[in-house]
Amino acid sequence: MTASTHDLAPTATHRLPGAPSALDVVHLQTAKRFMTFAVPLLTLALVLAISGVVAGVFYQLGSRPGTEEWVANSRNNPGVLWALPGFLGYYGVQSVATTFPLALTLGAGRRAFTAGTLLFHGLLSAYIALVGLVLLGVEKATDQWFVGLYLMDVVVLGGGDPLRLVTVLFLGSLAVMSAGAAFAAAWVRFAARGPMALALGTLLVLAAAALLLASQASAVADAFQLWWLAAAAVVVIALACAAEHLLLRRASVR
Amino acid sequence: MTRQTPLAAAPAVRLRGVGRRFRRTDALSDVTLEVPEGVVCGLLGRNGAGKTTLMSLLAGHGQPSSGSVEVFGADPFTHAPTTSAVSFVRDDQRYPDDFRLPHLLAVAPRFHAAWSTERAAELVDAFRLPGRTDVKKYSRGQLSALGIVLGLASRAPLTVFDEPYLGLDAGARQVFYRQLVTDLAEHPRTVVVSTHLVDEMEALLDRVVVLEGGRVVRDSTVDEARAAAYTVSGPAAAVDALTARLPVLASHRLGGLRSATVEGELTDEVDDAARRAGAQTGPASLQELVLAHGVEPEVGVPGVPASAAARASEGVPA
Repeated sequence: MTASTHDLAPTATHRLPGAPSALDVVHLQTAKRFMTFAVPLLTLALVLAISGVVAGVFYQLGSRPGTEEWVANSRNNPGVLWALPGFLGYYGVQSVATTFPLALTLGAGRRAFTAGTLLFHGLLSAYIALVGLVLLGVEKATDQWFVGLYLMDVVVLGGGDPLRLVTVLFLGSLAVMSAGAAFAAAWVRFAARGPMALALGTLLVLAAAALLLASQASAVADAFQLWWLAAAAVVVIALACAAEHLLLRRASVR
Repeated sequence: MTRQTPLAAAPAVRLRGVGRRFRRTDALSDVTLEVPEGVVCGLLGRNGAGKTTLMSLLAGHGQPSSGSVEVFGADPFTHAPTTSAVSFVRDDQRYPDDFRLPHLLAVAPRFHAAWSTERAAELVDAFRLPGRTDVKKYSRGQLSALGIVLGLASRAPLTVFDEPYLGLDAGARQVFYRQLVTDLAEHPRTVVVSTHLVDEMEALLDRVVVLEGGRVVRDSTVDEARAAAYTVSGPAAAVDALTARLPVLASHRLGGLRSATVEGELTDEVDDAARRAGAQTGPASLQELVLAHGVEPEVGVPGVPASAAARASEGVPA
């Protein structure tokens, strides 16, 4: 050592910087551009490719594009429903479980982190809904990808209705990510006991609801409206966001 | 970021009666200390003494079970501007999957108002940190180097390093020491650093806080700490006789020779008496002082009741 800090004049007259904002946390959450924005596209491309292979098998079995049977079977393709939630659930968990400690290490406050993470989930959900809408447009413009493939114009995404597709993709993505984030927040706060307790509590509530409604199942089924699903998704999102906020508010970094 | 909040006229760090309990274990007990602004404070003590827990509280990463923690006059756990005024990279820091160095260097400036891109680039280059490898796959030394990059380049008003040398070779450690001195000269701020390499870092430190069993057993300037103890060494019988009525912090025997670390100022009388008895005296180094606080006393050694172990068990700070 040729110099020492003793030689320094102790004149560190700092002013505290302002706290990082929710937007700073959004930047942190979207730092991995490829993972955040390209992986959903690749996932949908993979679903399209697999749908093509399945369609090829049906073609070999004698079904022909454009026929009533072909259209009915293709529009029941739930590929998107199976493919996206896995990625989104993982991303929701990761956006809290490993990003929370890093955000606090970088100096983010808990409130800014929670707000920024919720904003990020909303932005990613909007991006996925927008991608879905564009793909639906391309799908319709190319007469089902030129070969009779159905990726977005499917029953689970609203049967070709753009408004329903956007609603399903946005609320579905947000619900899955928010739920993942809530479970991750339970883990951050209470370690392994947290998500276990949260899962158990959720199961108990669902079981109690099922028991209460069992006697009126047929009446409920008859009265069922599609908007109930949207309302259920909104309730899940609200509960998950509230849980994330409450759990992280007093959480220590582990 | 250009947002600014006025800094309260307060020491950089003020802890009052702080305790931190994990289930049935007290990691910290009744810790009271102050770290003035603009100093480099060494946090010393054995493994499990409570150093990381204390640093975690300073960064607002956790809350005390009792007492109060203030950083620049505010609670770092609840006051967001204070949280952002602290940089603390844990030695077991978690990073998101697939996160790489460029991701961190891209976002860090948004979180630290005084972030130095130049200092970060200089350190990355000096430590030869790979940009194409996932941070999770970094070696221990590379993770330590990354922590140093984030800590030093942040230029946070309170920068906390948790054993920043882990896994670093001697050359890399010298890089850290040089960069720390250079950067603090240009941008004075408060640094708290935990270390076991006391001899190596002694020249960097202005103050030392020694923890033992979650309690503060010494909180002073380095000069005061150095003057607080001395060693007596020589034939065991002579050393035993010389230290029989003195507060011996630690004592070691090798064959017929003994070396004792004694708390107190080394006076001419003590020195003369030692010389007459065929023993030598000398000022204790900071390392010896720290070791003395962390070493269990030998059975049957005169003067032992005043040892650190006895102090710690009785809860009496030095």
